[in-house]
Amino acid sequence: MSILLDRSNKVLIQGVTGQMGQFFVEDARKYGTNMVAGVSPGRAGTRVGDVPVFASVATACKETGADTAMVFVPPSAVLGAAIEAIESGCRLVVATADEMPVLDAIEVRAAARANGAVFVGPNTPGLISPGKAKMGFMPSFCYTQGSVGVISRSGSLSYEGCKRITLAGIGQSTVVGIGGDPVKGTTAAEALERFHKDPETTAVLYLGEIGGSEETFVAEYASRKGAKPVAALIVGKTAPAGKKMGHAAALIGSKAEGHAAKQKMLRDAGVFVANGLGDLVDSMRQALARVKAAA
Amino acid sequence: MMMLECDAKRLLASVGVNAPAGTVWRRGEAAAGVKVDAYPVAVKAQVRSGGRGKQGGVVKVADRAALEAAAKKLFEIDFGGEKPDALLIEPWLAIDRECYLSVAVDGRAEGYVVLYSPQGGMDIEDGAPPVRYEVGAPWNFRVHRLREILEQVESDYQWREKVIVLAQRLVRSAAALDCTTIEINPLVKQSDGTLIAADAKVARDEWAHFRNAEINAEREAEKGRADPYLRACLDMQHMYVKLDGDIGVISGGAGMTMGAMDMIAEYGGRPACFLDCSPGPTSTRGYRPAFEMLDADPAVKVILVSVFGGGTQMQRVANSMKEVMAERKGKKPVVYRLDGTNVDQVPGIFAEFGAHNHATLETAVQEAVNLAGGAQ
Repeated sequence: MSILLDRSNKVLIQGVTGQMGQFFVEDARKYGTNMVAGVSPGRAGTRVGDVPVFASVATACKETGADTAMVFVPPSAVLGAAIEAIESGCRLVVATADEMPVLDAIEVRAAARANGAVFVGPNTPGLISPGKAKMGFMPSFCYTQGSVGVISRSGSLSYEGCKRITLAGIGQSTVVGIGGDPVKGTTAAEALERFHKDPETTAVLYLGEIGGSEETFVAEYASRKGAKPVAALIVGKTAPAGKKMGHAAALIGSKAEGHAAKQKMLRDAGVFVANGLGDLVDSMRQALARVKAAA
Repeated sequence: MMMLECDAKRLLASVGVNAPAGTVWRRGEAAAGVKVDAYPVAVKAQVRSGGRGKQGGVVKVADRAALEAAAKKLFEIDFGGEKPDALLIEPWLAIDRECYLSVAVDGRAEGYVVLYSPQGGMDIEDGAPPVRYEVGAPWNFRVHRLREILEQVESDYQWREKVIVLAQRLVRSAAALDCTTIEINPLVKQSDGTLIAADAKVARDEWAHFRNAEINAEREAEKGRADPYLRACLDMQHMYVKLDGDIGVISGGAGMTMGAMDMIAEYGGRPACFLDCSPGPTSTRGYRPAFEMLDADPAVKVILVSVFGGGTQMQRVANSMKEVMAERKGKKPVVYRLDGTNVDQVPGIFAEFGAHNHATLETAVQEAVNLAGGAQ
């Protein structure tokens, strides 16, 4: 198993005729993602590769059985596109766009919740269930199938982190990019809950940053009775307080949001926290050793 | 994007929130042009950084001579690297009580949260934490829910009802005007019982620039305050934070940029900046201003290019590096670590201009630290 994404998802791409959409169709299909439709208003009846293009998500779902949407539209259009997918019955909607206004993210999250769908994003590389399917731009060679569930606030950091554990022979069940914005479609807490219930996932790797309060969820989970072992890396030790480090949520507003406080909170909760990228694999191995000890 | 207090209060007044009638004195404006009808007044430095009050940025003056003396002094105070471009002059308030009220985006609340404390003022962070009402989506604000929460800490029911009405308006306005934070501290109860926003902090969501002329103008103004090198980077949507070291980091993605910065420190070096080029990721046009800025910065001794790309394809980045290096006048050494999609094509492209691509971040950081003069 894995969470949210496997070979059973039938994927449609909104904004399929754009440059990103076309690259994604080719790359994700090569990986095994079941691509069934594209959506591009005004371009119905055309094809991208061998993927048929429809004018609306509802038509695409009806004609192809699509149940999962990848949103590749400009930031100002994500709100409309994501809600169209949610209300057309897609169970999983992924929007990679950064620069999405936070109010729009709030509205999409509310719509997903009201319709029983899952929204992943914004500002995320997407998600991948290695060996099964991918919904995003992550470089495929960084991943291998296995039992570690990975949650990351940052795209590039998740590539780097996953490549390191993959080279060390540690595979992943699913890697979810929850994104670096303050309001997320899927939070660390929700991703943890799914990994907790997934029988294939035995341990979790959390890749976080300074700023925001997402790490509190991770600490809360790790200190719960029966929690799966968690390893973590928090970047931004050298970041100054009061400055936004690229991501909207990566801003140290209070002491609790700083690097030292987060590391301590996670360690106190029993998380195996790496000091830096260099000992990430060691921390992951410690978490996995805990799995073995418990078995 | 933080607004100045005078702009924040203008925004509040525009949605009917009572704020002092202030006069703005811009830097360079002659004293004669600044009209004040009655004294005493508060003279307040207009800066975006916090902790202004504790640094002497607010002064009470009783007459014209004192106002001019205070202004002269305030314009010269450095507030965390920022000298005020303006002063706000407001009537001195007759204060009965100081409270705290804010509305902010909060991930935990899946939207907005309202925070209230019956004791506001400068030391708000040292006191008991404010009570918290998780609104979520702005249309979910419920007067009776906030009332239940405020009843626990606020016994003055007349004041409480005023605060509730205000909070509701702030949540609506935050959504309508794309504000991520509206903080009124102190929220003052005047001696006649009326409510007034004595100080205000408003942060806007910069990504709403396409639907809000004010936010767009503020983004442009921010670029205008930058030097020409940084402005060129901001035009390419790069994100930059200056640090105090000597290893310039050109990177992609906030997480990996910080990951590289942290590793530089771990190896005994000091990063000179956070420079995330991912929004304009692969083109020569995108990387050119990044190199020009770091080449012009006398603090930077070495440039580390660290990019781990997915959608950002490495053969394109490598080709951009080749083009930038061919035209670049700067002589500072450049260390590369590219990884990700199509990285197998990088060595061939790099061979064309004699560059070496490190296989790991560790060896790249080690070389950069050595070139900058070794571990400190």
